[in-house]
Amino acid sequence: MQITLEKLCKYFGKVKAVDNLDLEIRDREFVALLGPSGCGKTTTLLMIAGIYRPTSGYIRFNGQVVNHLLPKERNIGMVFQSYALYPHMTVFDNIAYPLKLKRTPRREIQKRVRQVADMMGIGELLDRRPGQLSGGQQQRVAVARALVKEPAILLFDEPLSNLDAKLRLRMRGEIKRLQEDLGVTSVYVTHDQVEAMTMASRIAVMNHGVLQAYGTPEQLYDQPDTIFVAGFIGAPPMNFIPVTLVKKEDGYFLEKGQFSIRLPDDKERLAVANQAPEQVIMGIRPEDVQVLPEGGDLQGEVYVIEPLGREDMVTFRFEGEEIRALVPAPFQGKVGDTIGLKLNREKLHLFHPETQRSLLRRGE
Amino acid sequence: MRFTFRAWLKRWWRALLAYVVLIIPSLVIAVGYVWLVITSFSTRTEGLRSLGWTLQNWRFLWESPFGPRVPSIWQVTLNTLVMSLIMTIIVVGVSSLAGYALARMKFPGRKGFLSLTLILHAFPSVTLLIPIYFVLLWIQKIPVIGNGIPLIGGFGYNTIGGVALVMVAFQLPFGIWVMKGFFDNIPWDMERSALIDGASRFRVWWQIVMPNIKPGIAALSIFSFLTAWNAYLIPLTFTSGRAGRFSVLSLYVQNFISESVMTEWNAVAAVGLFQLIPVVLFFLFTQEALLSIYGGGRKGGV
Repeated sequence: MQITLEKLCKYFGKVKAVDNLDLEIRDREFVALLGPSGCGKTTTLLMIAGIYRPTSGYIRFNGQVVNHLLPKERNIGMVFQSYALYPHMTVFDNIAYPLKLKRTPRREIQKRVRQVADMMGIGELLDRRPGQLSGGQQQRVAVARALVKEPAILLFDEPLSNLDAKLRLRMRGEIKRLQEDLGVTSVYVTHDQVEAMTMASRIAVMNHGVLQAYGTPEQLYDQPDTIFVAGFIGAPPMNFIPVTLVKKEDGYFLEKGQFSIRLPDDKERLAVANQAPEQVIMGIRPEDVQVLPEGGDLQGEVYVIEPLGREDMVTFRFEGEEIRALVPAPFQGKVGDTIGLKLNREKLHLFHPETQRSLLRRGE
Repeated sequence: MRFTFRAWLKRWWRALLAYVVLIIPSLVIAVGYVWLVITSFSTRTEGLRSLGWTLQNWRFLWESPFGPRVPSIWQVTLNTLVMSLIMTIIVVGVSSLAGYALARMKFPGRKGFLSLTLILHAFPSVTLLIPIYFVLLWIQKIPVIGNGIPLIGGFGYNTIGGVALVMVAFQLPFGIWVMKGFFDNIPWDMERSALIDGASRFRVWWQIVMPNIKPGIAALSIFSFLTAWNAYLIPLTFTSGRAGRFSVLSLYVQNFISESVMTEWNAVAAVGLFQLIPVVLFFLFTQEALLSIYGGGRKGGV
């Protein structure tokens, strides 16, 4: 099922929860709606589900406008953050509930509930009540209930945020695999960029009800369109440093105090084409900052060292700014040392300080 | 030794204080009930001391002490039971629907309705007795509904239905607030999930939400039932009184108190005890549910 959102708006009183959202989700695709809490992603999901009525705009399933359809007429399965199981029913009755409402014959219900329960590995728990299950088991019941009616669309509302870290990692893989096997068009709401990056084929980043970017995880990571996207995707987040763009005889330079590097030719062309102002914001990911024994593009003073196991994250100070670097563990330095840092020029990003947009984006 | 007692006191004085504060007033009440039991089985009493045991005071159970024109205790008990049940059913039914609407739906006048119910809950019902009397008289003139239904008489003046209806009206604001509180505790996601599973709004209310506020329904039922069972002022005002066809237990006691003959206090105690029996039984079996009405109910989980 293909889902198209067209100029979709939802206001709660004067608050714009979702503002002019255009989004196209292809058949069988797994799309993540990513954003901080309160960014309108859950509101969008509930509009697709038919729980909220859009203030304006259209929701289309396979081209047909479905704005007026009730949730039960949309053939949707949904998994909630709280699981939303029915505490007074057994696991079997929970999973069977959608089928009972469809007046499916009892035999067929038995068969399909067993099937989906076995697939989710909860076949032994059918007689229990939700209160007797662990969080992970409840989660599986919730997924089974969403799957049992063989929906055309699966909606996930932060389904993993109530699980512990280990279980979350496992369910992440399982849900992704399940979606690939079943080929059901899926929309997955999360505030966890790792979840979005690892699971989704495309990510829609939202903030304050507005779509910030929509693309594959690689696109968003390598060519973020705005400062917000650049800072939200990737952990630890990208470093942002205000610098001055200076034109010299042999090309454009980024400068700040002692620091001065030449912009590579291809980036220079794009920056010029995008009419870069003199004051710009330079972005560089921590893994693209290299520690050198001497020399380097700038001299940073070690401020904090945070071991992450495989790597150490080191925060440096220079010219009143902070810059983080991921360096191979163990880091050979201590707090207060001054150390040379080299930036990977190919991975530099430039942003406009007012519009917040990338100055390296290719023609519109 | 003294030292250990001191240490003990230091540790437990808070609990001790609480017990002392609770025991003293409880004792006063308990003495009252003990007196009631002793008196009802005695010919005469001197304080808590019986001056001779007898079952004569309980005579009203198997004979009509006031002649055939006054309904028997069993008729009166049936009246009380029917009245209490009618009131309970209507209060719970209406409160569940109204409470759900107020907790979950948006409609114009919702806020105003909420504050109005709160005001009505605090409204002194005595001030309304006379207008209600006229309303009931008017209802009585309606054929069948007014005065022609078997068992409950109807819904007009001097009928079980009429008295029940008035008490429902006084009880509803409280019932609606209580039920709204229970509905507020049910997570939205559970309802949304049921809607997506294919249920209609009414079905969600009936199959998903209502089973999850059973403690609330139980508490309100018991509370309403006891209110009706013990009601005095409203039955007194809107029936023809203690000797009427639709007398209830709280009025029946009055038969033993009259101006011309010495009041039989021992018999009054017996009737009082008789009225108390179902209440005590009720409390024994339902105190847990009853407590939850003030505890705000359980959380939405399990």
